[in-house]
Amino acid sequence: MDLIIKIIFVILAPVIGGFVYGAERIVRARMQRRIGPPLLQPFYDVLKLADKRKMIVHSTHAFLGLVHCLSLWFALAVLVLGGDLILVIFLHLLSTALLILAGYSTRSIFSHLGANRTAISILTYEPILILIAVSVFMQTGSFETSSIFSYGQPLLLKLPLAFVALLLILPIKLKKSPFDVAEAHQEVTGGVELEFSGIFYEAVYTAKWLDEIFCYTLVYLFGASNPALGLSLVLFAFLFLNALDNSSARVSYKQMLRFSLTVALPVAFINLLLSILQHVV
Amino acid sequence: MYPLISSLFVLPLIVSGLLFVLPKFLSRIFVIITAFFLSSVSVYLFICIPGPIRLQLPSYVNELVAAADIVLLLFFAQIAIRRKSLVIGLLTAAQLAVSLYLIKNNSLESSFQLVIDKLSCFMFLLINIISGIIAVFSLKYLDGENCSPFRKRYFLSILFWFIAVMNLLVCSDNLEYFFLFFELTTLASFLLIGFRKDETSVRNALTALWMNQIGGLAILIAIFFISYHGYGEITFSNLVQHGSGGALLMPLTLLSIAALIKGAQMPFSKWLLGAMVAPTPVSALLHSSTMVKIAPFMILRLSPVLKNTPVAWIIIALTGFVFVASAVVALSQDNFKRILAHSTIALLALMIMMGAVGTPVSVMAALTLILFHGISKCMLFLNAGVLERVFHFKQTSDMDRLAESGPFTSLVLTFGFMSLLLPPFGAFIGKWFSIETIGAVSNERIIGALVIVMIALGGAVFSLLYFKVLGLLIARTGRMDRFRFEKESPYYTVTIIILLAFIIGGVLGLPFLMTDYFSPVASNILNVPVRTSIQGWGIHVESMRLPIVPLLVAFLLLPTTIALGMFVKFKNVDRVKEYACGEKIDYSFSALYFSTDKATPYLTAIGILLFAAMVMVAWLI
Repeated sequence: MDLIIKIIFVILAPVIGGFVYGAERIVRARMQRRIGPPLLQPFYDVLKLADKRKMIVHSTHAFLGLVHCLSLWFALAVLVLGGDLILVIFLHLLSTALLILAGYSTRSIFSHLGANRTAISILTYEPILILIAVSVFMQTGSFETSSIFSYGQPLLLKLPLAFVALLLILPIKLKKSPFDVAEAHQEVTGGVELEFSGIFYEAVYTAKWLDEIFCYTLVYLFGASNPALGLSLVLFAFLFLNALDNSSARVSYKQMLRFSLTVALPVAFINLLLSILQHVV
Repeated sequence: MYPLISSLFVLPLIVSGLLFVLPKFLSRIFVIITAFFLSSVSVYLFICIPGPIRLQLPSYVNELVAAADIVLLLFFAQIAIRRKSLVIGLLTAAQLAVSLYLIKNNSLESSFQLVIDKLSCFMFLLINIISGIIAVFSLKYLDGENCSPFRKRYFLSILFWFIAVMNLLVCSDNLEYFFLFFELTTLASFLLIGFRKDETSVRNALTALWMNQIGGLAILIAIFFISYHGYGEITFSNLVQHGSGGALLMPLTLLSIAALIKGAQMPFSKWLLGAMVAPTPVSALLHSSTMVKIAPFMILRLSPVLKNTPVAWIIIALTGFVFVASAVVALSQDNFKRILAHSTIALLALMIMMGAVGTPVSVMAALTLILFHGISKCMLFLNAGVLERVFHFKQTSDMDRLAESGPFTSLVLTFGFMSLLLPPFGAFIGKWFSIETIGAVSNERIIGALVIVMIALGGAVFSLLYFKVLGLLIARTGRMDRFRFEKESPYYTVTIIILLAFIIGGVLGLPFLMTDYFSPVASNILNVPVRTSIQGWGIHVESMRLPIVPLLVAFLLLPTTIALGMFVKFKNVDRVKEYACGEKIDYSFSALYFSTDKATPYLTAIGILLFAAMVMVAWLI
């Protein structure tokens, strides 16, 4: 029964992601005292994009965009269905890699700049995710996400700092201000996305929704054994990210790197040390 | 069995001599046949060796070795005088003094001089297959070299002589023998780096010589310590039996230092970087696949006694540091061979670290890395040779048209780089093992945690580096949609395809390689049975479980996507030029760079400090 729910969740992930994205736009608009677009706006966009004339720069570029979306979906499936956390992080890295390579494969300056910045943002969040995964391992004795569900206690109480570290890097991963250098519309006009159009842009667009679902699933894991807690954590992270996005100005990629290495990484490291000490005692 | 084993030592030497006299065509055929024969023998030995084979050599061989030692050191002295190098002179004098003392005290006497066990056979496999392929490759590569026919013969001759030396090195048990072969590989490295005879080559060859001589000296002093304290025979096996207690920690430390220098760990990384001026087959053979692997090999040999000592922890800290530092420095490089060199240093650091940790899982991981890194680095270097000879470029920033002008080379390079990044290679296996480190060593968990941070950071920086190069490799314009694989010399194509087949076969067969072939080697190293098995869809090594299916998916995802990306064509779509917001900016499509020049002195200083700490700790305990 549990498994069927999970499978349905994975299959419907793009749709749920669309709703999350739509809700996000409304929440952000309300924070700015606007009404905002309708909830279904992302799906209207899909219809519009599907109807457009198909234009590509070259096949490799378009193809990489498509596979980026599919592989992200696969990573999400492994995460939700209880796979190895380190492997999930790795699969996520690979799917991001495809997007970066797509960016490098064209001869467009904005695409290149965006790819460069996405590559650097990997450096800022990947080590921290691994440290979090390792400290989870120290607590539950396994890397499988299914063991987190059966652990009995919510991880939040055991690893509060890990949750803080995750919150610190989520804006980087989801490209929210102040860490949205990778797609910064005013600077690099969307970065890697720029050269995609029509249905191929739709793939990259859906991948963004999937990425949101991926991140919120990670957040949910901290309260996994207690669904109410998990959902409230997700809600909290959702509001936090959007409030932050609305209230902060973009920093440069160097500042982002510095922030990650001097704030987020030490937090994750201290968390790891604490979980090791707990384990010894 | 014995004739086969001795053929590994004798045959390359014979070929090495014959290459000077045989006519060109005949020597080519001869090289190819020998390469094939040596590889087959090494595969046979690896599979069929029953247990350790101990060889006691007649006493005149001991005298021969002693004489060879002296002749070699005199040759170094002559180099020192001719090049007016004070450092080399002093080091040689010190080595001579210690050597003469040791020879007088009969340190060469031991019950067995050569021991051929599973680990030696594992190294045979690596050495002979890789060397054979590189020898065949260089038959063609040398055609483009601007030097006399005699020098070309001389080059090939040294290559074969080097194979014999390496084969002897990995099975010598007596440390004096080991010292001789260690120094002979240093000599080979010196001669081949200086092969082109221009000013930089000569200078870098000298750097490589004196740095490695420090390693040689460290081995000699280690021998001196053992015989001075009367710990019995001066052999690896004796050392491993005695354990690390008491004064034996010092020789262990010294041997580890020799290993670290051979493995070009900071601050000694300069020699390996300088070595990149040598012709590409040399970089492929000596400076990435085989000779530098002496470092993890030595640490693995010593790992049963080295592990859990304070020295081992410093080695782990040092290599963890080197892993991150060289990854960061590699980001600032543009020269293709230098990028490869930095990543070699980093991966060597990883292998040494795993050897120093010495748990069954880490030893298995080290073995996997040694073999696969050897193959994929060799392939990348051979491709660097092709880039240099056929496409005439050495910088990565020139490569951004390669997908159109040389799709085959570009595709193969892509595979090579991905094989360094993806499981079961570098980054992933490092993470897998480092977690084991924390679990395994209960009282040193803080260091374990530091190691994880280092590996996570270094791994991320490496992904950045590889993505950057991969990005250049797949860049193309929309104009050329049809492409055709370029035709190159069969010497190039065949050798590269063989290596590619090894990589792909190795990945697909990894579960069986690990359970059936690597675990006996690991058991042999650790002297305890290492339990590995395939249960369901996972490889179990002791208590760790490595999932197979997602691993293969991860490995196949990126390469197949990129390969497909080259072939796939969308129907019913229109082609447009890049939009780029209509901007016309003069922008060179290279990749991102960071300058790390400012950091280099600090990195060297940290390296020196850690080396000093190692000696201090060994001294105090």
